[in-house]
Formats: sequence, structure tokens, C-alpha cells
Amino acid sequence: MTAWYVALDVLREAASRRWLLALFALIAALLITVGLSLEMRVVDGALAAVKLFGQEEREVTVQAVDVALRPLFRGVSFFIFFGGLFFGALVTADFAPSLLAPGRIEHLLSLPVRRASLLLGTYVGVLIIAAVAFLFAAGGFVLVLGVKTGAYVADLVYAGLLGALTFAALYGAMLTCAVFVRSAAASAFAGLLLFAAGIVASFRYEISPSFSSDFARQVFEWVTMFLPPVATVGQLAMDIAASTPVDSGALARTMGGMVLFGVAMVALGVWRFERMDF
Amino acid sequence: MDAALEAKGIEKIFKNRRALAGVDLVVPRGTCFGLIGVNGAGKTTFIKTMLGIVRPSAGSIRVLGGAPEDIDVRRRIGYLPERLALPPAWSATTYLTSIARLKRLPRPREEIDRLLVCVGLASARDVKTRAFSKGMKQRLGLAAALLGRPELLVLDEPTDGVDPLGRAEVRELLREEQARGTTVFLNSHLLSETERICDRIGILHAGAVLRDGPIEALAAQSTRWIVRFAEPIDVEGFTSNGDGNYHVEAEDPAALDEALARARGAGGLIVALRRDVPDLESILRGEVGG
Repeated sequence: MTAWYVALDVLREAASRRWLLALFALIAALLITVGLSLEMRVVDGALAAVKLFGQEEREVTVQAVDVALRPLFRGVSFFIFFGGLFFGALVTADFAPSLLAPGRIEHLLSLPVRRASLLLGTYVGVLIIAAVAFLFAAGGFVLVLGVKTGAYVADLVYAGLLGALTFAALYGAMLTCAVFVRSAAASAFAGLLLFAAGIVASFRYEISPSFSSDFARQVFEWVTMFLPPVATVGQLAMDIAASTPVDSGALARTMGGMVLFGVAMVALGVWRFERMDF
Repeated sequence: MDAALEAKGIEKIFKNRRALAGVDLVVPRGTCFGLIGVNGAGKTTFIKTMLGIVRPSAGSIRVLGGAPEDIDVRRRIGYLPERLALPPAWSATTYLTSIARLKRLPRPREEIDRLLVCVGLASARDVKTRAFSKGMKQRLGLAAALLGRPELLVLDEPTDGVDPLGRAEVRELLREEQARGTTVFLNSHLLSETERICDRIGILHAGAVLRDGPIEALAAQSTRWIVRFAEPIDVEGFTSNGDGNYHVEAEDPAALDEALARARGAGGLIVALRRDVPDLESILRGEVGG
């Protein structure tokens, strides 16, 4: 319960963060731009023509709206997933260091609150912000296109949820980094480094043959095995958004690993936090 | 003696630096205790140790009969840190509401309103803390410490940045708390403030308590008296400090009476006599040197 109160405080603080508000404003602006500039002619449930930015109406191959929109959803999912992770790491990097700031953490630790609750509350608070951002972007896009075509395809929202879950793994590492070094810059760097390393880890089997030494190849494969496969999940998110069938077993395994990584990172952070003097 | 704080052999070593070197201290409940010492003596480290913010390297500490890490113990403590950092976008009311929630106080609204009046921030209740002066931040921190009517108030430099009138208000507030039965543990570099507020003090130096006890007891150990005569005198044992007063050393009343008799025998007319009670600054200087 105390962790929930801490999470509420994080949300209250988030409402005053300019960078975070700017991110939501940017998403809203993009949705409004799409809403105002895109016109679609739908005839009997099939997309017949598209008009963008007031240009001349362009006829398209007539097909069911949900099928016609799949490439668009795939592209949007790419931007939401990777853009969300990138900007998410930047705008949330300051929350944990702010909690751990001298003069604030001493006071919080004197309150009847367990140390683990403080950290978990911060983690939950930031994840709520991230989930709202991903769902706002994905849900907003579904809504805009739904209003224009009459077809409300929820798959993009599920893809957004995958983005939020992946961010949970990244933020686990960012939070733990903040506990160790109490720096927003270091926390953001950890998030972005893991983001990039996670993309590399997704292509580990394609990359590893380029190592000439067996030892180096094995080290690379062993190290990348523990990293969250960001690009793999991104690809799955795009497939889901485009209503392409995905291997549910592979999806469960990948997301299970992602959750495990996040939990391990937070556990490491809590372990360290419990032993720290301030 | 029912103690609010019992510390036995508390040591704290940070990497290569020994911040506390075996602190032994007992603070009785209901007292107003002032911890004094020079910079780097270990005062703030000791305060953090008694709150569980810093874990001791050796020794044991009990606060309000329990361990500092115990949630139920901490529920009964109010703390104002030395440099309180407030969320800049929050108002005073928002901040206190957050603290009240973390302290699990039922229906805190009335208490928050009362405390904002007590610390003189009623008119600034909705002002964002980024616009607060240092003194206003201290007042808000004090209100946060007082939330929930704690049994032990631990205040690290509570009047730092507070104007003279505000200091008087803080003193009055602390007297009220003490009258309610609250134990006050104060760390202030303003020795005159400590002297006016506290009834017991402890002198911390190089990480250890040199002396502690009631202020009167520490001060009363002086054997020096100040005598004022109607006319200047020249008597052995009496030294003038140039302002018309004379100092004389006397171990006990008999020695004092003998010295005064000598002065009277030499024609001195005594118009005033008082013990040369040292102030905290003198006591501190006497203990730690410098």
C-alpha cells in the first residue's frame, strides 16, 4: 500500500515535468495532425481512396479497411515502440535520482516506510506513466483511424502494451543504475545503452559469425543472451499491429525473459538500496 | 529512567573515515536535548544513525524502546533534516498531504491546516515550494516533522535561515511540544538557540560524547565568581577585567566567604555577586579547546 502512495507521488511529480508534458503534447500533436490531414474514402467497408495534406485524392487497390491499414499500423507500431523506448528513457531518467536527492531521501527514510516500498513505488509510478504514454499513442491512433474508416483495430494497442512491458525491463536497469550512482544522466545513459544493446542482442546469431575467434564469439553470445531482445519484441509488436499471426509460444518466452530481466534488475536495486547509508 | 534514546558504543566508519567513535548517550523521555559540537564532530551522522538512515558499524541503539528500522518506532518520530529538499512543483498543502499519507494518518486535513497556522505558512498553503525562501522551507519541514504528534522530534538545524521573529515562534512551538510530553532532540550550530530551548545538552567531539547532562549541572561546575564593588579595590585573589567587575576563584562557599571577607577587610563594599556561569560557547570551547 505504501508503495502505491509513493507511486501516486511520482505521478503527481510527473504532472509538473516539462519534458514529460512535452512528450505527451508531441503525441497529441501528431495524432491531431494525422486526424486533420488524412482523409479516407471507405465504400462498403473497403478502402477506396486516400487524401493526405490536402493533396489530390489517390485511389488505392480496393480492399477491406482493416487489411488495407495493416502496413500503416506496422509502420506506426515501429515508431511507437522504438520511439517510445528512446524518449521514455530520456524523460523518466530523473525520477529515481530525484527521489534519492540529498535532503529528500533522508526525510523519506525517516518516515514509516520500508526502503523497498520507496523504490518499488517509484518503479510502479514510472511504469504507469510509460504505459499511459504507449497506450495514449497507440489508442489515439486506433481511435483517429477508427473515426475515419469505421474500423477499430485494437491490435496496435496490444503492440503498445508490448512496448510498455519492454520499457519495464529497461527502466528496471535505469532505476538500479540510479541507486548506484544517483545521477539522472547515468540513468538515461544506462537506459539508452541497454536499448541499443538489446537491439544488438536481437541479432546475436546473425552477428556472432562475424567474430573470427571462437572465444570472442562465445563471449558475445553468452553476454547477449542475458540482454532483453528489444528488436525481437519490436518485430513481434509490428507483427501484432499488422494482424500477422505470431508464434504465441515464442512471444510468451520472449516476454517472460523480458519480465525476468526487469524483476532481476529491480531486485538488484532493492538489494543495494537496503544496504546504503545516506 | 525511561529513555527516548539509548546509544551504546555507536561507531560508524565511512571507507577510511571514522565519523563516530563509540557514542554512548541516554536521552530521557520528555526532555529537550541539544547536541552540540564543532563542524565534523559527527552530529548529523549520529542523528541519521538514530533514525536508521545510516547503519552503525558497531554498537547498539534503541529509540523509543525499539530499533530505528522498526516501522512502528518511526511512526512515532518526526524528523527535520539539515537540508530539506522539497519537490519544487508541489504546494505546502500537497507536500504535507503526501507526508501524512506516508505516515498513514487518518483524516490529516485538519492537522495540516492547524500546523500550517502554527508554523506561519497559512497564507502560503497553495504556493509552490519553488517560490519558498529558505526560512519558509524550514517552517514547512518543521510542520512535516510535527505531523502525527510524534513522541520524539529530531531536528537538525531547525532555525537555519529562519528570521529572528520566526526563531522565537519555533522556540515557542518546541516548548509547547515539550509540554505535551514530546522529547525534542536538537542539533543546532546556533548555541544561543540551543541554550534557550534545551534543558540537557551533549557535547560531541571527534565522534564521541565528551560530556552530557542538564545545562545547569554542566555550567554549575564553574568555581569562578563575579563580584562588583562600589569602589575599585586591590586585594589578592581578585582580578579586575576592566569593566568594574572582579573575578575570584572559590571551590566552595567557605572559600568564597573567606575571599569576600578579605575584600571587605580592605574596604571593599560589595554591591553585586554572582557565579560566573559559562554559556554554551564557553562550555564547548572548554571541552574541545580552541
